[in-house]
Amino acid sequence: MQFSVAELPLALFTTLAPLGAGAFVALACAFFTTSFSDEQLKKIDRGTIIPLAIVIVGFICAFFHLASPMNAPSVFLGAGSPMSNEIIAGCVFAIVAIVYVIVTNAGKLCGSARKGFAAVVAVLAVVFAIFTGLAYVMSTIATWDTPLVPVQMLGFALVGGAATAAFVLATAGAWADACKGSFKSAVIGLAVVGAVLAIVDLVGQLAMASGMQNALVSGSELVSGALLPAIIGLALIVVAAALVFVSVKKEAATGLAAAAVIAALVGIFLARMAFYAIQMSVGIYFG
Amino acid sequence: MTQYGFYFDSTRCTGCRTCEIACKDYKDLGVDFAYRHVYDCEGGDWQMQSDGTYTQDCFVYHVSLGCQHCDDPACVKVCPTTAMHKDASTGLVSVDEHKCIGCGYCHMACPYNAPKVDREKGHSVKCNGCAERVAEGKNPICVDACPLRALDFGSIEDIRKKYDGVDSVPPLPDASYTHPNIVVKKCPAAARAKNVAGLVANPLEVM
Amino acid sequence: MPNMNVNRRTFVKTAGALGALAAVGGTAATGSLFEPTTPAFAEAPDEIHWSQCNVNCGGNCIFQWHSKDGKIQYMETDNLGSTDLQARACLRGRAMRRWLNSPDRLMYPMKRVGKRGEGKFERISWDEAIDIIVEKLKTTIDKYGNEAIYINYATGMYSATGRVPIQRLLSLLGGYVNQGYDYSTHMLQAVMPYMYGSASNIADPKTGLHKTLGKKATKFSPYDNVNASSFSEAEAHSDLVVMFGNSPAETRMGGANAVWDYALMREAVLGRGGKIVNIDFRLNESSSGHPDEWLPIRPGTDAALVSAIAYEWIKGDKVDKEFLDKYCVGYDDDRMPESAKGQNKSYKDYIMGTGYDKIEKTPEWAAPITQIPASKIRELADMIASAKAPFICQGWGSQRHTNGEDTTRAICMLPILIGKIGLPGTNTGQREAEPPTYLVGKIPFTNPIKTTLPVYQWVNAVDHGHKMTAKNAGIMGAEKLGSDLKFIWNYAGNCLTNQHGDINYTHEILSDESKCEFILVWDTVMTDSAKYADLLLPDAMRSEQMNLQTQGYSEYYTAVVVGTPAQEPPGECRSNYDVCADIADRFGLKNEFTEGRTHDDWVEYLYKKGAQADDKMPSWEQIKEQGVYKRALEPAIGLKSFRDDPDEHPLATPSGKIEIYSETLAGLNDTWELAEDEVINPIPVFSEGFHGYGSVTSEFPLYCSGFHHKSRTHSSFGFIEELEKVARQQLWINPADAEPRNIMDGDMLAVKSPVGEIRIEAKVTPRIVPGTVGIPQGAWHKADMFGDKIDTGGCVNTLTAYKPSPLAKGNGTAHSMIVQVSKA
Repeated sequence: MQFSVAELPLALFTTLAPLGAGAFVALACAFFTTSFSDEQLKKIDRGTIIPLAIVIVGFICAFFHLASPMNAPSVFLGAGSPMSNEIIAGCVFAIVAIVYVIVTNAGKLCGSARKGFAAVVAVLAVVFAIFTGLAYVMSTIATWDTPLVPVQMLGFALVGGAATAAFVLATAGAWADACKGSFKSAVIGLAVVGAVLAIVDLVGQLAMASGMQNALVSGSELVSGALLPAIIGLALIVVAAALVFVSVKKEAATGLAAAAVIAALVGIFLARMAFYAIQMSVGIYFG
Repeated sequence: MTQYGFYFDSTRCTGCRTCEIACKDYKDLGVDFAYRHVYDCEGGDWQMQSDGTYTQDCFVYHVSLGCQHCDDPACVKVCPTTAMHKDASTGLVSVDEHKCIGCGYCHMACPYNAPKVDREKGHSVKCNGCAERVAEGKNPICVDACPLRALDFGSIEDIRKKYDGVDSVPPLPDASYTHPNIVVKKCPAAARAKNVAGLVANPLEVM
Repeated sequence: MPNMNVNRRTFVKTAGALGALAAVGGTAATGSLFEPTTPAFAEAPDEIHWSQCNVNCGGNCIFQWHSKDGKIQYMETDNLGSTDLQARACLRGRAMRRWLNSPDRLMYPMKRVGKRGEGKFERISWDEAIDIIVEKLKTTIDKYGNEAIYINYATGMYSATGRVPIQRLLSLLGGYVNQGYDYSTHMLQAVMPYMYGSASNIADPKTGLHKTLGKKATKFSPYDNVNASSFSEAEAHSDLVVMFGNSPAETRMGGANAVWDYALMREAVLGRGGKIVNIDFRLNESSSGHPDEWLPIRPGTDAALVSAIAYEWIKGDKVDKEFLDKYCVGYDDDRMPESAKGQNKSYKDYIMGTGYDKIEKTPEWAAPITQIPASKIRELADMIASAKAPFICQGWGSQRHTNGEDTTRAICMLPILIGKIGLPGTNTGQREAEPPTYLVGKIPFTNPIKTTLPVYQWVNAVDHGHKMTAKNAGIMGAEKLGSDLKFIWNYAGNCLTNQHGDINYTHEILSDESKCEFILVWDTVMTDSAKYADLLLPDAMRSEQMNLQTQGYSEYYTAVVVGTPAQEPPGECRSNYDVCADIADRFGLKNEFTEGRTHDDWVEYLYKKGAQADDKMPSWEQIKEQGVYKRALEPAIGLKSFRDDPDEHPLATPSGKIEIYSETLAGLNDTWELAEDEVINPIPVFSEGFHGYGSVTSEFPLYCSGFHHKSRTHSSFGFIEELEKVARQQLWINPADAEPRNIMDGDMLAVKSPVGEIRIEAKVTPRIVPGTVGIPQGAWHKADMFGDKIDTGGCVNTLTAYKPSPLAKGNGTAHSMIVQVSKA
C-alpha cells in the first residue's frame, strides 16, 4: 500500500468525525425509545462530551492537513464545492452539537425538547457523514466516483456511532435500562446496517477499482496494496458490530462497549487508508 | 474573453525536458516542484527468432504538459475557497495564494497532474501560463525554450486554426472531463499506445 | 539572417513586441487584467547579460541572463530574430544558474592535506598557491624536462579565453606534451585519415598540396563540412537517411544544434515520401515518436551488418564498379596496390569469402551477430540501393568501441560501394557536417614541443612513459616519450578519473605519489578528479566575467557572442588568465604572456581580429551593445570537389583516392608492436574487439555500453539535483534480461565488470536490445577508494577496462564492456 503520511490527517478526520457524529444518531434513538432517570440523563449528557470531543479532534486533524490553516475561513467562499459543502455541513453539525451538549449539561432541556433537539443533531450528523463522503466523489478520480463512497461513510458513522453511544450509555449506567426496550433492536440495527453498508460499499468499490487502470498504474495493483488494510479494517468493523450485539444482553457492558469503540476506530481508520490507497485519476495521477 | 492555450507537437518532442527546466529556472522551483512535466510513454514487445535474432514493435514518445487551463477545470470545481480560479479575460487558471488553504483537493482532482501543494509556501502552486509574461506580449518561458519548437501558445481559437491536432492522446484523459485548451499533434508512436498501466515509464520523474 | 542589430537597451521592448506578434497574434490583452501569482518578477529586471554554454556537447548555446542588483534572477535564451535560427539552450544550459549559484562552488585556493584521492584539503592564499605552482614547474622542468608536463584532456570550458592561457603560459616555459585525438572521436580520428586523407601526405600545411600528386588535397577531419554533408543538404535533397550510432537528440540538444537540423530534415524527407533508419542498440530519443525508424542492433556489430549489405549488393550487382574503379583503391583486385595484388586481400574478397577468413558475409552470417533477421538486412540493402539520394552517416557512438577503427570505416563503405558520395543529398558515411567558419579565434600560443601522446594513453604515460614509443604506444611527433608524466595540469575537466577508463586502476596509478609528482586541478566544483589534486584552484565561470566565443562546433550556423559578467564571481574565484599572468610574472615573462593586454583587452583584440577577416560582422562598439551576432550557413555536400574532379581535387591519401585498402595500415600492422589479440586491419572488416561480440562469459553474461544522457554533458552538470530529478541515472535493461534476474523497474542494482562494481537504479525497458545493458555515461563516481571501491554514483568508467585500442590507442572500451547485473 502507498502509505502516505500526507493523507494521515485526512484519514483521521474521516474516521473520527463520522464516528463521533454517528453517536448522536444512536443517542437520539435512545432518547426516543427509553425513559431515563434524571441521574442517568445527567450522566449521559456528561458522557456525550466524548463523541463531541472525538468530532472536534477530527476537525483539528483536518486542520493540520491544511498548508495554510490560517486561511481556513475562506472555505466559505467556495460554498457549493464538494469540500465546502462538507465543511459547512460539518460546522453546522458541530456548532449545533456543541450547543446541544452545553444546553443539556446545563440541565435546561427535558422531555420532548430534548427529543426534538437530539433529533435535529442526529439528522445533521447523517447529513454531515454523507457530505464527508460526497467530498471525495469527483468525475476525474475514477475509483472514487461512485455513490458507494458517501454511503460507505454513512455506514462508518452508524456502526462507529452505535459503539460510541453504547459506551456513553454504559458509563452512564443507562445501558441495561435502554436495552430493555426497543432501543435494543435500534442499536443493533444501527450497528449491523452500518457494518453492512461499510462492507458492501468498500468491497464494491475495491471490485470496481480493480478493473480500472490509467497510464501510471493498474487498479488491481492499487487494490492488491489496499487489500490487507481493507480486510483487517472491515473485520474490525464486524467485530465492533458484534460487540454491540453481544453487549445488549449484558448488565455491565462498559468494557465490551469500549472494545467496540476501539475496534470501530481502528477498523474505520484502516478502511479509510485502503480508500486513499486506491485513488486513481482518469488521467495522470494516482495516490 | 480570449481563452489561451498550448500547442504540443509530439512528432518533434525528444523528451529533453528543457521546457520543464526553463520553467523551474524562471519560477525558481527546487527539486520537488515542476509546473510542467515530460511524460515518457513507452511500450512494445520483443519476439526472439530461432536464429537468435529479434523482431519488435517497441515505441517511445513524449508528452510535455503544463496546465491545460481547461474550460471546465476540475481543480476550480473542487476548490473550497475559490482560490483556484480562471481569469475572466484570459481563461488562464491560477491560484490566489491569499485565499488558498492548501487542502490539496485541486492536486487530487486534476487529471493532468498540474497543481500541487507547496507546504513551505503554504498554498497550491501550478503553471499559470506565465500570465505575467503573456500580459507583456511574450510567450510562456517554456514555449520559447523548446529546442525543437514543439510548443506554441496563444489564443486557443488561433491555435486550433493554425494546427491540426487532437485534444487527447495517451496518457491524457478524455477531453470530456475538463475540456482542456490544448492541441496535440499526434506522432506515429502514439498510435501504438493504449492508455494502460505502465505506459508512462518515468513515474519517479514526474510524480 | 544577414545581421542582428538589436540594441541592448531597447531589447526588452523589442522582444516584447516580437513576442506579442508570435505569441498571441496581436490579441495581447491589457496588463492590468493579469494578476501574476508569483510577484518575484513583477518588476522586470533591468539588466540583460549575454553569455554561452561552454561545455562539450559542442553547442555553445546562447544565454540571455536577467540580473538584478548584481545577481542573476533567471535565464531566457536566444530569442533573437527568426525562431528557425535561435541557439536555444537545452535543459542543461537552462540549469546553469544552479551551477553558478551552487553551494558546492569552490571558493578558495586549497592544498591537499589527506591522501591523494581522499579529497581532504585546507584553504590557502592565492600567493601561496602561485608559489607552489612556480616551484613545482621549476623543479619538474629542471629534473625531468618539459616532456614531463601534461595538460590533461578537459572540455568543460569552451571559450576564446578558456584553457588557452594555460597552454600559452606553459608554451612560454618551454612547452608540454601534446594530446593527439580526443575522447569523443578517438578511434575515428586515428583511422579515417588512412581512408579519406591525412595531413602526413600534404607537403606543406600552408599550400595544402599533395606530397606526390602536387594538387591541393583534402585531408580528413571529423570537424568540418568538407568531408561530410550537412543535415540541411539531406533536408534539401535526400530520400533516405541512414544513421549508425547517432542520436543528435541526446548528444546535440540545443536549439541551433544538430537536433533541430535533424527535425527539419526528417520533416522534409518524410514529406517527400522518404525514410529514416536509425541503427542503434537503444531506441534513442532521436526516434522519439517515430518507432518505425529504429533498427535495433547489438553494439559493436555495425560492421557485420554493413558486410552483409555489401554481400547482397555485390551478389545482386548493385555496386557502382565505375565509381569504385575511378575513385577508390582496394575494392577488388583490379585496384589493389602492387604490394597486395593477387593475394585475395581486397574488400570484395573479404565479403565474398575468397580472402582473409574465407567466410561469405551473407545476411544469415550477420543475423545472429547483429541480432537483426536476415530478411530485415536484405530489406535494408534493397532500400539503400534503390534510394536516389541516400544520406548515410554515423555518430561517434559506433567508433567508441574496441573495434572502432574497423567499424567507423566499414560504415563508410555503404555510400562508397554504390558511389553515393559527393552528390546532392548524399553523404560520405561520416557524421553530419560541422560549420566551416569560426568568427573569432582564441588567445594564441605555440608549443615548442611536438611530441604528442594519444589522449587516452596518459595513465600509461604516468606509469611508464619513458618506455612508450611510436611503435608500441602510438606516440606521434617523436619516436618516443621523453619522460614519465610528472606534472599534470587539469583545468575544467573530469578526465583524471570520472571520464577516463577503469577508475580503480587510475586511482592506483594516481595515488602513488612517486609516479605523478604534482597534480593541479582548477575547476568550479569538487569533481571526482578534483579529489586527486595536490593543489585545487577555484575558477570564475564565464558568466561571471567578460566572455567571448563562437558558435559551437556541432551546430551548423555561424555566430559570435560577446558577453558581460551577469554577476560577480563568488569567494576568491579568479579568471585563469589573470592567474596565469601572475605566474608568468614570477618567471619574468609577464609581457611575453600578456602582450600588454588584460583579459578583457584580449576579448576585444580577438573580436576585432575576427571582424577584420569577416566582412559581415558588426563593429566592436555594435557587438558590445547587441551581444550576439549570427547568420545561417548554406548546405554542404561532403567531398563534392573530389567527386566533381578527382584528379584536380585528390584526397590526401597516398593514392589520392578513397583507400578501402590502406597499404599504410598494412605496414603498421607489420611494424608496430601489438599485443597478441591486436590487429590493424588494412580493410574495414568486422572484428569482434576486446570485450566485444562473443566475449561474454558465465561470470559476465551481458554486453554493456555507455551512452550519452540528457541530464549531463559528459560529467558536466552531473551534480545538479534538479537535472537528476527529471532524468534519472538508470541502467537500461530489456525485460528479457530483467525477468530471469527478478529485476523490476526502479530496483537498485549491482553491476560488476572484470574491473569494478557500481550501484545503479534499473530502467526495465523494451527500448534496448536483449543481451546488452546500457549505462548513461558521466555520472559522478562515488566510492570509498581506500575501502570497498563500490561506486554508488553509477559511473560507467568504474566498469570500463583500461585497454587502449590497437591503432588509435583509444577509449574503445567505453562502449564495449561485459558485465553481470543483479539486484543489490
